[in-house]
Amino acid sequence: MPFISKIQRQSDYSSFSSAHPIVIDNGGSYFRIGWAGEDEPRVIFRNIIQRPRHKITGETITVVGDHNTALLKYFDCTRSGPRSAFDSNVVYQFEIMEYILDFGFDRLGADQSQINHPVLITECACNPVQSRSKMAELLFESYGVPSVAFGVDAAFSYKYNQQLGICSNDGLVICSGFNTSHVIPFLNGEPLYEACCRTNVGGYHVTDYLKQLLSLKYPHHMSKLTWEKVEDLKMEHCYIAPDYASEVRLFQKGDKKAEEKTRVWQLPWTPTPVEEAPSEEEIARKAALKEKQGQRLREMAEAKRFNRINDLENEIRELEMLLEKLRHASEDDIPSILSKTVHNSKHDVESALAKATQSLRKAKGEPVEIVEKMDPSSAEKYNLINVPDEMLTPEQLKQKRKQLFIKSTSEARQQKKQKQIEEELERERQKKLEEERRLENPERYLEELRAKHRDLTEKIEQRKRLKTNGHTNGNNNASGGVGRGERLNPSQRERMRLLTTAAFDRGKGEDTFGTRDEDWQLYKLMSKDNDDDDDDKPDPDEAELTRISSRLQEIDPTFIFKSESGSSSAEAPRFRPLTKEDFQIILGVERFRCPEILFNPNLIGIEQAGLDEMVGVSVRRLPLKDNSLNEKITNSILLTGGSCLFPGMSERLEAGIRMIRPCGTPIKIFQASDPILDAWRGASTYAAAMQFPQQTFSRMDYYEKGEDWLRRYQLRYTI
Amino acid sequence: MEPEVVEAELVLPTHMKFKKIQMYEKYPKGQARVRWKHLKQIIQAENYQNFPPNETNYVNIESPPSMHPCKRICDITGYEAPYFDPRTKLRYANAEVFKVIRSLPNDYVQRYLALRNAAVVLR
Repeated sequence: MPFISKIQRQSDYSSFSSAHPIVIDNGGSYFRIGWAGEDEPRVIFRNIIQRPRHKITGETITVVGDHNTALLKYFDCTRSGPRSAFDSNVVYQFEIMEYILDFGFDRLGADQSQINHPVLITECACNPVQSRSKMAELLFESYGVPSVAFGVDAAFSYKYNQQLGICSNDGLVICSGFNTSHVIPFLNGEPLYEACCRTNVGGYHVTDYLKQLLSLKYPHHMSKLTWEKVEDLKMEHCYIAPDYASEVRLFQKGDKKAEEKTRVWQLPWTPTPVEEAPSEEEIARKAALKEKQGQRLREMAEAKRFNRINDLENEIRELEMLLEKLRHASEDDIPSILSKTVHNSKHDVESALAKATQSLRKAKGEPVEIVEKMDPSSAEKYNLINVPDEMLTPEQLKQKRKQLFIKSTSEARQQKKQKQIEEELERERQKKLEEERRLENPERYLEELRAKHRDLTEKIEQRKRLKTNGHTNGNNNASGGVGRGERLNPSQRERMRLLTTAAFDRGKGEDTFGTRDEDWQLYKLMSKDNDDDDDDKPDPDEAELTRISSRLQEIDPTFIFKSESGSSSAEAPRFRPLTKEDFQIILGVERFRCPEILFNPNLIGIEQAGLDEMVGVSVRRLPLKDNSLNEKITNSILLTGGSCLFPGMSERLEAGIRMIRPCGTPIKIFQASDPILDAWRGASTYAAAMQFPQQTFSRMDYYEKGEDWLRRYQLRYTI
Repeated sequence: MEPEVVEAELVLPTHMKFKKIQMYEKYPKGQARVRWKHLKQIIQAENYQNFPPNETNYVNIESPPSMHPCKRICDITGYEAPYFDPRTKLRYANAEVFKVIRSLPNDYVQRYLALRNAAVVLR
């Protein structure tokens, strides 16, 4: 049963005479106000206020009770949560109380200059006199109430049910409210407060416990777990286990019964759109688009090439013409002709022509012949090499040295080329060999390859780890306490050591640093960046690994190439698409774990007796040690208050009380006709009685008789 | 104020016809807020120790501590908890839960402990 509130303004206020009392049930969770003698309270709302700021005007306003939450979007509620006038079950914040009373009277339809009706208002059992006097003062001073009466909600509920014939004149009321739970025995229709007892656990604690447990269990859905929603969950799903231990064992075993008892709350969730395989059309369209783009690019490239060929051909033609001209011109005319061009000599023009023809050939895509004109001329090119030094002039000697250098470099180039070809051949041969082995036994070959791959990956990983973390077995950082030394990798550590020794070696006798050449090596070591030690030459292992993995990719369909095994495994779960199950709030053990605190308050750290034990305590506190009376009392136990609505409550209570009371004691537990509204109804019928005015006190009484009188003030419930 | 807010009468009017003293007269704006005594302070001010002990009051009607042995349940699952982890001070039911509690961040541990009022409170 979710929150019910009635906040329509009543219009018949003026039709009630001034003697007609107003009845208020000022409960921890709900405020109920109405007219004496009626069956239902006229106005019901949650006993809270909120003071948000209007977003546009910035003025602080007061909102009482629960309204349409959609309207709160115009207000900034971030700095003002809902507030209550209660501390435990005692009213302490009378400013909030006043706002609540304002709202209550306003909605009841009050429109005269003051509230000219007697008021019956409920309070907790043994309300501290400070709270009681403040309340009386508020009603007298601010509202001009002529007379006031205070009563206890649980007692009114018991009296009401007694009138209905549910419980008898002597009995016991178990009232589990919002902030506290009370057990109050009744003797001859009057409550015995000296034998009552109170445990500071109530519906608030159950909801709070459930809310905390769920938000710890589902930290991602914390925002969905509002107080109101959790309260609804509690009212809908929580129940009291007949025996906590055996019930929990069901869940622990994962019994079928437990599964049936588990409730799932599905949060709004829309499945992420599944990526459908693109249709044929789509593929064709995309391919066409790609083809079109490629065509355009190709055309552009073609045009560019054509232009270039054209340019080159023009250039060649010009150069040829120039050459022709030069051939026919006399020696004297040459400079004048050349001066018009960029070229300096005939030779220059020829070389330019050769260059142009070569690039034209390249542009046209014809094979460029790299003319190695060395072979024919090598003999004459290196003509001086074999001639002994003595026979040469200094000029020739210089030339010889030059020739020697050229020859050696060209030979080296040749050799390198040869070596490359040989390597290529060797690789080719190995590949062939491997292929043969594969064909011979594909399975075994694959296995071997995989094993090799694994080993290599591990080896490389290990080395990487060593490089970054230092030794692998010593760094259990999970336990905390990572020292400074452990953060550095070995090479860094070595460098630190060198630096420190270099710094502290000084001053030890004579400073001999630098006398030996090896000393200077130290700087090399120090400045060495610890990463580059083998970055220049590719690691043979890594090269082998890439070769193997590429090979595996070729022949093994199950092989998945992992570039960074560490990061991929860590990120994999994050990219798991969220499923329906991720948006489910599962209520299993919580369903009965939360209300269990009513019977075992120590579960939430409150060291007080639970509901069943409270009955025992209360009976023990009775002033008359009379067994027949005790029996009479336990024979009429009334359950009331909002927290008594949990299914299984009376069974559990009966079992619990039976354990405490002597064997054979008659125990009867009755559920109140309406555990939530009975207190108000009881108060309403009480205030409608003829003798009610004698139970009230006026403003005059209050100021004349003083605080001590108010402390002793107590209603007589039987009138 | 938006018309729908006005129509819903969400905002409590500051002036009430039926009141002899209005809120704004009692708690004028800009004045220091009244410090309301909390329940603890109220009880202290009541001086219950000056009254005969057999007279009932708010304090002496409280229930005594439970006579039953304290029920120990697993802080995470709610199962019966035979074990206790000295490091996190959490109670746990089995090895799986132990794994969970050892992987819990400290603020979660503290929140679980706070549920049964056993968290370390730093003041």
